Amino acid sequence: MTDGFQMVGIRPVPPPERGRPAPWYRGKPVAAAVVLAVIVLGCLCSELLMTKDPTYLDLANCNVAPNREFLFGTDAMGRDLFSMIWYGGRVSLLIGILATAISTVLAIVFGAASGMASVWLDTLLMRGTEILLSIPGLLLVLLLQALLGPANVWTLSWVIGLTSWTAMAKVVRTEVRQLRTSDYVVAARCMGGGFFYLLRKHLTPNFLSSILFMVVMNIRSAMVAESTLSFLGMGLPLEVISWGSMLSLAEKALMTRAWWIIVIPGAFLIATLLSITSLGNCLRKQANRKARNL
Amino acid sequence: MKRSILRSIGIKVLVFVVSLLILSAAVFCVARLAPGDPLVSYYGDRVEKMSPQERAWAEDKLGLNDPLTVQYVRWLERAVQGDFGISYQYKMPVTEVIAQRMGNTLLLGGVGLLLIFGGALLLGSFCAWQEDRWPDRLLCRAGTLLSCIPEFWLSLLLILVFAMGIRWLPSSGAYSIGGEGNVGDRLVHLILPLTVVVLSHLWYYAYLVRNRLLEEVRADYVLLARVKGLPRRAVLFRHCLRSAMPTYLSILAISIPHVLGGTYIVETVFSYPGLGTLSYESARYQDYNLLMVLCLLSGAVVMLCNLAAQAINERIDPRIRGERSGMEQEVRTP
Repeated sequence: MTDGFQMVGIRPVPPPERGRPAPWYRGKPVAAAVVLAVIVLGCLCSELLMTKDPTYLDLANCNVAPNREFLFGTDAMGRDLFSMIWYGGRVSLLIGILATAISTVLAIVFGAASGMASVWLDTLLMRGTEILLSIPGLLLVLLLQALLGPANVWTLSWVIGLTSWTAMAKVVRTEVRQLRTSDYVVAARCMGGGFFYLLRKHLTPNFLSSILFMVVMNIRSAMVAESTLSFLGMGLPLEVISWGSMLSLAEKALMTRAWWIIVIPGAFLIATLLSITSLGNCLRKQANRKARNL
Repeated sequence: MKRSILRSIGIKVLVFVVSLLILSAAVFCVARLAPGDPLVSYYGDRVEKMSPQERAWAEDKLGLNDPLTVQYVRWLERAVQGDFGISYQYKMPVTEVIAQRMGNTLLLGGVGLLLIFGGALLLGSFCAWQEDRWPDRLLCRAGTLLSCIPEFWLSLLLILVFAMGIRWLPSSGAYSIGGEGNVGDRLVHLILPLTVVVLSHLWYYAYLVRNRLLEEVRADYVLLARVKGLPRRAVLFRHCLRSAMPTYLSILAISIPHVLGGTYIVETVFSYPGLGTLSYESARYQDYNLLMVLCLLSGAVVMLCNLAAQAINERIDPRIRGERSGMEQEVRTP
């Protein structure tokens, strides 16, 4: 009875020839993350890194080029740039994050309100933002500073936050316009869910991924705004050390050709901005990939 | 058909005028609520030595004592007749002050926009052509880096290198003293500010063109054109670029104010006598009349550009025109 079929089991198949597994860092902005981490950590632990007191005016050593004692040189008032970079980075990063938080909350609330509102109110609100957009930013900043008092970290964050939420609000509004007719939102409204309940439970989780990229980019533009305003003399005063207020000495530095006062804080600023951008781009790619799979 | 077109144009003009009115009222209140003494910009340091009587007389003369609404209505009445008042700082009619400076900003912004427009098209299509090969990757990296650099810092760096370091180019102004009519002198002064304006915006639009083209080359008609035997270059430039163009144009139209706003900062750094430095001064020194006109001007530019973008989009895609009525229906259902 051994003729006929014979059970031989599964045909041995050589395991599929796999190339080397894709390294874990493929497609991830590792360099950006590392640079950002170094800068953020350095700023947070600035006390450990600083070689001098960043606020001390060493008048015997003004405009000293980078050397062994003053690693990045000193500015026109004799302050040590190396210490100021780490100490002031805290303020710059803080303003970036605070301003973004303010503008994001505003954009979400305003955009969602406009998206849920009736047509005429929606038109009115959107026209309003358009008019707000067309007022020169400089004037708005001046006015807000006048209302909020002399510039410090807190008021400057508010100024930047209040002038940078409109683009995000438009995206939120468009998303909410699409979401509002979906059944679960209508159902929640029928059962008496309030605006903020809807916003928290149903709307925000749905449009968050589409504005995440904008949020990250907002940190970047808030930091640019801080440095530009401080440079123009409308932001932080000289005593409050930030990368922007360090650059406000740049015009004097041009006269004395003290390149380090201009180049070094700028390089730190740009390295931070670049890392934030790479992280943001990575986020956007991920968000897009999800959307396509759905 | 014709009447409906006329009607929609009429509505647009009406909205435009009303928006300008609201904007003017808003700026009027905002500027006057902001602290600061407009008398300082008119009389300079003499203000501090003025007696209270003299102050009162001066304020009365400039009409600063009346209630805000009265002041606004008076301003509006005159503005409708084309009289925007005098600049406190320059003691000349506002329109003249602006007319003097406008040419400089238009030159900087206009040439800048043209270069950005052309450069972004070239760069974007080159990147799309070389997709994922090393020139494309290199340019993408460089572009991202470039777009991260704040305008004022780029200006400082260029001044440091080209004006202070190798002394090839002047660092400020629009012309040397006495060289106002000299075209070559103007051009030399324009190089650095123009470079900053172009470099700081170029990549944003080039990237836009690149991504739009990459979407486009995956469409079916490209395959057909290739099968028909058209060379790659012809397909990219004659077909893909043409269909990517309208989106690009409308986005460019929306962002014209953005580019012009960027020139403001550049003008300030290079002390270039344009509208940017003017609005910075007028806002700082409470030159109300000047500030009003500058704000209205930039507001009008923003709105006109939005209208232009809308018109371009409607021409490409007639469905947008019907969107409003469709939206109203959609809202009434729930």
